[in-house]
Amino acid sequence: MNNGLLQVEELRLHYRTTQGVVQAVDGVTFSLAPRQALAVLGESGCGKSSLARAILRLLPRNVEVYDGCVRVNGLNVMPLDEEQFRRDVRWSKISIVMQAAMNALNPVLRVADQVIEPLLVHQDQQHDAALARVRDVFQMVGVPLDFMARYAFELSGGMRQRVVLAMALVLNPSLVLLDEPTSALDVLTQANIMNVLKRIKKDTSTSFILITHDIATSSELADQVAVMYAGQLVEISDAARFFREPLHPYSQKLMASVPRLRDDTKLEYIPGRPPSLIALPRGCRFAPRCLQRFAKCDQDPPMIHTEDGRQVRCWLYE
Amino acid sequence: MNGGISTATVTVPPSRSAWRETLHRVGLYTLRRVTVLLGTVVIGTYLAVLIANWGGEVDKMREAQCKEKAGMSIQADPALQVLPPEERRRRYEQEVERCKQLQGLDRPFFARSLEYLRDALTLSLGRAMQLTSDSGSREVRNIILERLPATLLLFGTADLVLFFTAISIALFLSRRYGSVFDRLIVALAPTSTAPGWFYGIFLILLFAGLLHLLPFGGMVDIPPPTATAEYAVSVLHHLILPVAAVVIGSICLSIYSWRTFFLIYSSEDYVEMAKAKGLPSGMIQRRYILRPTLPPIITGFSFMLISLWQGAIILETVFNWPGLGRLLYSAIGSQDTPVIVGTVVIYGYLLALTVFVLDIVYALIDPRVKVGERGIGS
Amino acid sequence: MTALLTGLRQLRQYPSAIIGLTMVFLLLLLSLVTVLTIPYSEAIRLWRGGAGVWDESPELARPTWFQLFSARKLPKTIIVDTRQSGKETADQPDGTRVVNASLRFEFPYDELPSAVGLWLSATYKEAQPFVILTWRKPNGEEVAFEERTPQQTDRYFVSRDERLRERLQARSVEEALFDAGSRGNGALLRGTYELAVEGILFEPDADLEARLVVYGKVHGIAGTDAQRRDLSVALLWGTPIALMFGLLAAVGTTIFSLMISAAGTWFGGRLDASIQRLTEINAMLPGLTLLVMIGMFYSRSLWVMLLAIILLSMFSLGIKTYRAIFLSLKEAPYIEAARTYGAGSFRIIFRYMIPRVIPMLIPAFVTAIPGFVFLEASLSILGLGDPDIPTWGKLLFDAYANEALFKGYYYWVLEPAALLMITGMSFAMSGFALDRMFNPRLRTA
Repeated sequence: MNNGLLQVEELRLHYRTTQGVVQAVDGVTFSLAPRQALAVLGESGCGKSSLARAILRLLPRNVEVYDGCVRVNGLNVMPLDEEQFRRDVRWSKISIVMQAAMNALNPVLRVADQVIEPLLVHQDQQHDAALARVRDVFQMVGVPLDFMARYAFELSGGMRQRVVLAMALVLNPSLVLLDEPTSALDVLTQANIMNVLKRIKKDTSTSFILITHDIATSSELADQVAVMYAGQLVEISDAARFFREPLHPYSQKLMASVPRLRDDTKLEYIPGRPPSLIALPRGCRFAPRCLQRFAKCDQDPPMIHTEDGRQVRCWLYE
Repeated sequence: MNGGISTATVTVPPSRSAWRETLHRVGLYTLRRVTVLLGTVVIGTYLAVLIANWGGEVDKMREAQCKEKAGMSIQADPALQVLPPEERRRRYEQEVERCKQLQGLDRPFFARSLEYLRDALTLSLGRAMQLTSDSGSREVRNIILERLPATLLLFGTADLVLFFTAISIALFLSRRYGSVFDRLIVALAPTSTAPGWFYGIFLILLFAGLLHLLPFGGMVDIPPPTATAEYAVSVLHHLILPVAAVVIGSICLSIYSWRTFFLIYSSEDYVEMAKAKGLPSGMIQRRYILRPTLPPIITGFSFMLISLWQGAIILETVFNWPGLGRLLYSAIGSQDTPVIVGTVVIYGYLLALTVFVLDIVYALIDPRVKVGERGIGS
Repeated sequence: MTALLTGLRQLRQYPSAIIGLTMVFLLLLLSLVTVLTIPYSEAIRLWRGGAGVWDESPELARPTWFQLFSARKLPKTIIVDTRQSGKETADQPDGTRVVNASLRFEFPYDELPSAVGLWLSATYKEAQPFVILTWRKPNGEEVAFEERTPQQTDRYFVSRDERLRERLQARSVEEALFDAGSRGNGALLRGTYELAVEGILFEPDADLEARLVVYGKVHGIAGTDAQRRDLSVALLWGTPIALMFGLLAAVGTTIFSLMISAAGTWFGGRLDASIQRLTEINAMLPGLTLLVMIGMFYSRSLWVMLLAIILLSMFSLGIKTYRAIFLSLKEAPYIEAARTYGAGSFRIIFRYMIPRVIPMLIPAFVTAIPGFVFLEASLSILGLGDPDIPTWGKLLFDAYANEALFKGYYYWVLEPAALLMITGMSFAMSGFALDRMFNPRLRTA
């Protein structure tokens, strides 16, 4: 798809560590249209969080490789220098809700003061007008207005996450990245937050990328699903067909490990462990654990486009 | 950078009950701290009194004062001059006995020590044996009060310079981890085991002895200039080396530990969030790194000040600075017990006061004190 | 064993640790050598000084290596003694004896000696000898000293002879004795000097010996102080004393802190709370002032001070750190197992909890040592040091009392200060590096 909201091409992010170079994001390509929600599924350690950071250029000190192409509304933002990127892309176009909202809020500032910051910095608004917007966005996520003057430590986990969500929406960005938004919360709060997200998706034109290992919850929101394994995307598909009938052997195993409400089939698990991102083997990265492997799997499979518009990185679909 | 944001924007003014609660909480906090601090002063003073009097020194002092007073009153009374010497002697001894009873010198040790404690705490410190204040008074309290401003000037200036210099450099270094300057500071951090007065000696040797740039010691030139502006300049001139000594003696360690704090706190999630929000780096430094790190820094600084206070005694001696430390040194030299005890008490108060001021600052910057672990809203 | 090897390998990553530990090792070596070569009683005797001990030592002399910094040749102390250089004794027919001695010495230096002194010792039964002294300069000029009638020992401080100085109309006696022109205006005369001693003894068995001391301006490896004591004694002996003091104070404080916090954590409840309060209060006590008072009113003995310092430092802030570790240990399963099989509290504290904490202890322990060394120096410089034992702080006190900085006797201040600095830095560098090694949180930063 061209001319979509977001196009990512061959995005790479490698870190330097004392044990070697971690290839966290290794050539990721996908695109996203406006008003769409993409769920990125995968196990811990497959590089999903690094993907979010790579898109927003939140790089640590020990970056070894960072290249690729990230187009926002057609414009490649990779060549932009740090100051331009800060001004034009961060938060105004793309915002993020991080994992563990426990610590995402500054402990010594009141929450409203933190939510209002992007308005004052990026849009140069007057204080009163900005405050009105903050109230709006608090109401949108369901935080009572008298919580505005509180500090982060006075709020429960669920409330904090909502505040962080409100903060992400305050500039009305085109895209919100959500990195494990509910994994630290209890089931009831999880459901609440997912409802908020669904409502926002319906009422605004915001796109979402939901990065999670929780397949069940993501199914409520996703229009598209991408599966990530060992730094690569191994399947991209629309949600409906993915959940019914996943193509990649890894996706199939993932789906088989999720309990169904009305089904009694025995749950499966995937033998073995995901490879270390440091010394990646040649060939298909899932091959060591795949029950359907064959000779060709010793070669790196490219992303194969099927006739019905899905993408799989597997020689089985050649 | 956008100047419209102050660090204390309260977007929605808290309700009146919230204000009352804040006041209540801050009040409790202050009360708790004051209690602990006063307790410290009492214990410290009592220890001082015990040490001073275990061998009976303070008692001897009091007795000597009684005898002095009795002798003077006998001399001053003309009616008694006509009496024969034995009678005068009898009157004298009566007077001494009466005085001793009034002072409680015939009471048991424990009761006496409590009385001395009360006297010391209320700063009724008696009269000096040898020393006098510049104004001629022999009252220990006056002698001490006269020297106090000099100590406060030196100490206050040195602390402020140390704090602000160290924090700025630490903040600057935390962004240049691994650079040459950073590694230099890490390597030099152990220099802070030597106290300020130690470096003071070297500074005097170099700048006063060899280079003749700065004075050997004292607070003003002798004779002191009469015009206020020149006087101030002279004092500043003399302030340079002692302040430099204090700063050198603590700065590397301060920079090292605060920069470590900043580094640790820079890896917090909310700092990454601030960057993701596209906030300018100056704002991130101020609001997201400096502000949250200040509470533990203030706590650490509080302890540093306590040891600096004690080092001030020798610092003033080395630099011949006319403050409390120098007073204590002279009192030691002339074995002037009342002055020694008095100075120790004042030091106790000064330390407690310093800690108290820093506690107030802490309360102002850490919202958890103002707000408390209030019931979590749903 | 493997833990030790990995530890050593880690050590190599920290150059400051290696430097620090090497310096500590050298200091320990120096202490050992000092203690073995100069026995303690000897050191105390030398330091106490008194009659006869430092008589031939110059006052306020710079160290010999100071010569490297001076273009002019600085005089060393010259001693000429009739017992070595010989004398002529002639018995006179009338029962008297005449003793003639010529005390000669070379003076090749560019500066005047600091002083000149003469010791005469006479043996006689009743009649004291009569001695005529004549000073001969290399240019032939002669100066007559006053005649002396020595008893068994006669000390003649030539330099302090005011009458002589006035008679010679010179600024100082040395100037008159060693310069070329009359009236003390000429340059220093180099060459062979001679003191002619002519003694008339009134008994046939009487005897006379003379010893001339021309005091130099440099002496020894460390110079001398105002009481003529060679500073190297105090500097060398100060090393083991400083190290011992620092180590004992650190050990005592650490052990007590450990026991207190272990007891508090284990028994919990009110004991724990009171210990916490005591720690907070102790942190705010003006410790140095209390030590000053102890020194003033009781005893300045090093041991008393050591004990007082340990008592005042026991409730240290380390207690909070140890407490945190002990608390986490207390809940450990093996502790619970120990309780079930009936192990007593003390056994658990000493055998299980304390050993776990020791790796944490070591950096704090090493870093605390220089603090105590400087504390002792602080007390000494205030005049509250041990009066008998030579310490570096005492040297600084003496230097200050004699206005050394003002008068330019920098070596007197620099030498103890340098040793204090070396000791402090070596332990501090080691301690800091050990802290970075053992404390993982600091390692990332």
